[in-house]
Amino acid sequence: MTGIGMLTAEDQMAIEQRLADFLAKSEAQWSALVDKGGNLFAQSGDTGNLDLSILSALAAGSFAATHELAKRLGESEFSALYHEGHGQHILMSALHHECLLVTIFGERTNIGLVRFYAQQVTVSLNELLQQAREKEALATPLQIEGDFLNDQATIT
Amino acid sequence: MAFINYSSREIQLKIVYYGAALCGKTTNLVTLHKQITHAQKGELVSLATDADRTLFFDFLSLNTKTLPGFTTRFQLYTVPGQAIYNTTRQLVLKGVDGIVFVVDSHWDKMADNVESFSNLQENLIENHLSLVQIPYVLQYNKRDIPNAAPINYLEFTFNNRANRALAFESVAATGSGVLETLNAAARLLLAKYSKTPNANVTGMSQPNLSVAVPPSDMNPPVPTTGNAVA
Repeated sequence: MTGIGMLTAEDQMAIEQRLADFLAKSEAQWSALVDKGGNLFAQSGDTGNLDLSILSALAAGSFAATHELAKRLGESEFSALYHEGHGQHILMSALHHECLLVTIFGERTNIGLVRFYAQQVTVSLNELLQQAREKEALATPLQIEGDFLNDQATIT
Repeated sequence: MAFINYSSREIQLKIVYYGAALCGKTTNLVTLHKQITHAQKGELVSLATDADRTLFFDFLSLNTKTLPGFTTRFQLYTVPGQAIYNTTRQLVLKGVDGIVFVVDSHWDKMADNVESFSNLQENLIENHLSLVQIPYVLQYNKRDIPNAAPINYLEFTFNNRANRALAFESVAATGSGVLETLNAAARLLLAKYSKTPNANVTGMSQPNLSVAVPPSDMNPPVPTTGNAVA
């Protein structure tokens, strides 16, 4: 497994800072780091009332759906995927360690600018993900007191 | 793959409902969405055809306080059951932490159930995983139909192994057994974070089964109707 299993508060802040810088430069509206399993790792910007779990799950699903298409064309995967709407657009860029950069942007900017800065931030995010992965390999597994069998631990 | 965010003190876990076409996977999520009142739940998203057949997946997110000091977010997915969507099933299994395998109790669906269980194991291998690593529970669904296969037959067919999985009877459409199944799967996943794991929970071993069938009783009855597979 090559995905990321944990992020420290420090990693999280560093990633959010990169995302915020990327948004400021590209004038995009929202950007997030998600994994290909649909987990939301970090995000910056504003999506209003959108449910971010759903957004992450759908973005990961959408990216995954093109995987087979890429394979048929002899590609291991597409490095970026762009969905164009009437007012809102989404760009998804592949990162290392089974992660994706998902960016939502509107009419204030354009795909060229967003893609240009996305390519830049991808490099620094990949470095941060590599560091997170190395930390994870050395980290003690999370262990919590209790066997989680009481009523409070039951989903109701 | 579980994801722990120490900044927001959140653990994200992915549970996939797997099973043959029309066995009740989506119905499980629809019922859970209705039944769950205390956990913070998201919207139920279904990527389905016009005829309500799952095309890609259904998705439901639940934020719970099941672990002290952490918010546990369970992300529940279903896979499309129809045979032609196998690639999609492989994709949905990516990063899975736990599985609920839903068995259709109808005699005529036994071959489909068995094929789906075998397909699950193949698709886990495609994702470099196996049922030895991934906690799973069995749900024998549609127990209310008149010609439901007996439980000991289902146990023999799907749970006849050294480490038996927890198994639950259910009628997903009415809600019976649905929350119990989810809680069992959730506890199996959470047990790995416990300093003092409870044997009944971590144990895929011996039962605390809601449909406990003593191993001595696990002789397959001969199906009287349909094309059941032994």
